[in-house]
Amino acid sequence: MNSTPTPIRPTRHAAWAIWSNPIFRRYCQARLRLRGAGIALLLTLLIAGFIVAMSSTIGGRNQMDPADAARGGIIPLLVVQGLILFVLGTAQVAGGMTAERDEGVIDYQRLIPMSPLAKVLGYLFGLPVREYAMVGVTLPFTAWCLWRGQVGWDVWMPLYAVVLSSAWLYHFTGLLTGTVARNRRWAFLASIGLVFCLYTVIPQMAKFGLVFFKYLTITPVFEESLSGLLPKSAGAMVKAGQRLLPTVKFFNLDFSEAVFTGFSQGGLILTFVIMLCRKWRRAESHLLGKLWATGFFIWIQVLLLGNALPLIEPGNLFPSHGFAGVAQYMWDWKPNPGEAVAMSGIYGLVTLGLIFVLGGIITPSADHQLRGWRRARKQGATALPRLADAATAYGWVGVMALAGAAGWFLFTRALVESHWFPGHVVPLSTLVYFAAVMLSSGVGFQALLEAKGGRAVVLAGILVGVVPLMAGAVCSAVSGMLTTAMWVIGVSPLVLPFFAAGSLLSIADLPEAVVHTVPQAFYVWLGIGVVAMLWLSWRLWAARKAVAGNVLALPPALPANRP
Amino acid sequence: MNRSPSNTHGGPAPAIDIRCLRVDYGAFCAVDDLTLSVPPGEVFGLVGPNGAGKTSTFRVLTTLMEPTYGEVILDGVDVLEDLAGARQVMGYMPDLAPLPSDLKIGEFLEFHAAAYGLGSRQQRRERVAECLEEVALSELSQSWCKELSRGQMQRVVLAKTLLHRPRVLILDEPASGLDPLARRDLRNALRKLADGGATVFVSSHILSELAEMCSSLCVMNRGRLLASGSVDEVRSQLGSTERTLTATLLARQDEAAAWLQSQPAVHDVRLSGPQLVFGFSGSDEAQADLLEGLIHRGVRLRAFEEKRSSFEDILVEVAETNRRS
Repeated sequence: MNSTPTPIRPTRHAAWAIWSNPIFRRYCQARLRLRGAGIALLLTLLIAGFIVAMSSTIGGRNQMDPADAARGGIIPLLVVQGLILFVLGTAQVAGGMTAERDEGVIDYQRLIPMSPLAKVLGYLFGLPVREYAMVGVTLPFTAWCLWRGQVGWDVWMPLYAVVLSSAWLYHFTGLLTGTVARNRRWAFLASIGLVFCLYTVIPQMAKFGLVFFKYLTITPVFEESLSGLLPKSAGAMVKAGQRLLPTVKFFNLDFSEAVFTGFSQGGLILTFVIMLCRKWRRAESHLLGKLWATGFFIWIQVLLLGNALPLIEPGNLFPSHGFAGVAQYMWDWKPNPGEAVAMSGIYGLVTLGLIFVLGGIITPSADHQLRGWRRARKQGATALPRLADAATAYGWVGVMALAGAAGWFLFTRALVESHWFPGHVVPLSTLVYFAAVMLSSGVGFQALLEAKGGRAVVLAGILVGVVPLMAGAVCSAVSGMLTTAMWVIGVSPLVLPFFAAGSLLSIADLPEAVVHTVPQAFYVWLGIGVVAMLWLSWRLWAARKAVAGNVLALPPALPANRP
Repeated sequence: MNRSPSNTHGGPAPAIDIRCLRVDYGAFCAVDDLTLSVPPGEVFGLVGPNGAGKTSTFRVLTTLMEPTYGEVILDGVDVLEDLAGARQVMGYMPDLAPLPSDLKIGEFLEFHAAAYGLGSRQQRRERVAECLEEVALSELSQSWCKELSRGQMQRVVLAKTLLHRPRVLILDEPASGLDPLARRDLRNALRKLADGGATVFVSSHILSELAEMCSSLCVMNRGRLLASGSVDEVRSQLGSTERTLTATLLARQDEAAAWLQSQPAVHDVRLSGPQLVFGFSGSDEAQADLLEGLIHRGVRLRAFEEKRSSFEDILVEVAETNRRS
């Protein structure tokens, strides 16, 4: 054996140099072998060729304009490309990442001297490289259809840019679930579930005033580009319809759908990159740092408000406006005050949900806290750095709760004080109640999680969050028990935003039977919630003090002759 | 890389320096205040039954896990403070040595050579060939990883571990699943690495395996260090002076048996024809005195045999004692 103990000085890999990224090249080697990829590529080639041939043939038989005939193939090709990139690609990324962990080879990759970003990008482009190749096979057909169909670059380029950014967004989702999930089955289910949510469930929030969420899909850009992709006659009709629709507004700025979608998805992609890099740097790290999580929360609030506020005055934000469709222009449409109250409640609930998720991410476990204090002792410190994973997330969640309350208040005030509800105002005192709702639920959740751990939170979530909803629903179905039902339902923190909107807004038109009960239940449960939050905060403070005291009181662990 | 070249005594700094290491998994303590030093150029063994805390210790050493507390210095680099530096000086071969199923051996090694940034493509190929030769697998470079036997897989991963010429090698159960021939090759390979100046830290739950290849070792059980040093030192630290002695006498066996039973440290005296078989748990000096006493009593001793407990027996005994306590 002629090894010498002098380590070879490695050359660093630039993260942006994807082509020379060893992880990317390793997957190119493994997933682009003719034997494995050949059939997939051939099948894609056949499908793409079949689509183009059929659209041309049918167009020719119907004596269509050659350009129109060629355009007929564009959307089916886009669907095939979407299926390959979004479905197969995401599954491959999530499954491949988990397989690495299952097989145990991920430990090797953790130890190789590449930057976390280079590793993340290597996996992002490497794992679905066969899917990229499959889409690559369809591109000549798409190019031919676009050229022959005389589709302008200003139509197809934004569309394909957003297809690519959406694919990266979903691949990052898969990569993250594959990295975090503990086994392959969970990773697969979680990634499919997350992509399903991102693509179908979350965008539905746009119908209830949270317009931003629809920009996580390609739908807005696809709809914007549709007139240019369809045969000219159909495209003209679509274009006429599109003139009735507003452009994307962000506060007072006007954007194209593609630019805003790219902007929205870019922010989320950047956050995923941060999460993955942190996990690659140290497996025990939180997905997000405290500052980034708080910034991300505020950024989401700004996007939600920026998209929603400009749509209130024209009425486009209200669900009934969308449901009324074209008929709205024939009738004297007006929003129902009830939907404004519900939209305010939904905004509050979504904000609370975001606080739960981000607060959960940045809250240190008991192990983390102990490690943090041990390290502080080792370094001779008597306090933890505020941004360290082991530091308390209490204050940061408090900031999120206050920022969320402010966003919720601004949204609600813009709704209620719009020209649709003349004479109604939202007093500043509402902000105090909104803040109390956010703090009692959000900070209470965080304090419980940090002091008592995940099990206590799940138990509390079931007993305080879900059971009252179910019991209240049962009570409400019993004749004469509606009042009781409202009191029971009001226990759940998930209902508090709706009760707040129903109790505090002057436009709220509650049914006679509960017109007094809902506000009473709201004030009582909010008061109890605030007291509970304060008690949990005190428990958390005492628990942290005990941990810190125990660790710092120990004699120095290391002998004095440390080098 | 933050390096501390020597200790305060002026001698060479230990290649591996573990201080007060503790690893908790929730309420379960896997490693409990482990303090250990390994000098450079040693093949140092870590032995203990399953669940002793070997793999947790190794995962902390290899930066794959953050301990609850403690300090680990590898070749002068603080593992908890300088991850990149520690990863550069260390090579890690995990338990069961997994390999990706979709690559050939050569591709797997070239990928790692590239990931470690080992020069040009030609230089990387040369280094891969060198390492394959070191583990005697040159002829299999074009074979699929999934087609290898357990022992061959271990050797491929060892080759991967050697690629960047680490100064500290951390091998978790490297001999598991190897046949005697492969074990001998591994032993020789590790010795050569140590002779070249590398420090090898190797774990196993089979003590005889480690005793063959290590210059010194330590024993862990239930997260605690029970003993460390050379094989004989470890044996004595574990308090195992127990042995079975057999004296073959020409006559007066009954008288000798009666005398032996009255002696301290002697127990379980049995008469079997001309032989007296008895247990003895005293020191070597006490054993010599006992033999001398027997002869002074006029007993004619034809033969004398000593049988010590095997290392495995001692470990089993220690593990059992710990479990009961």
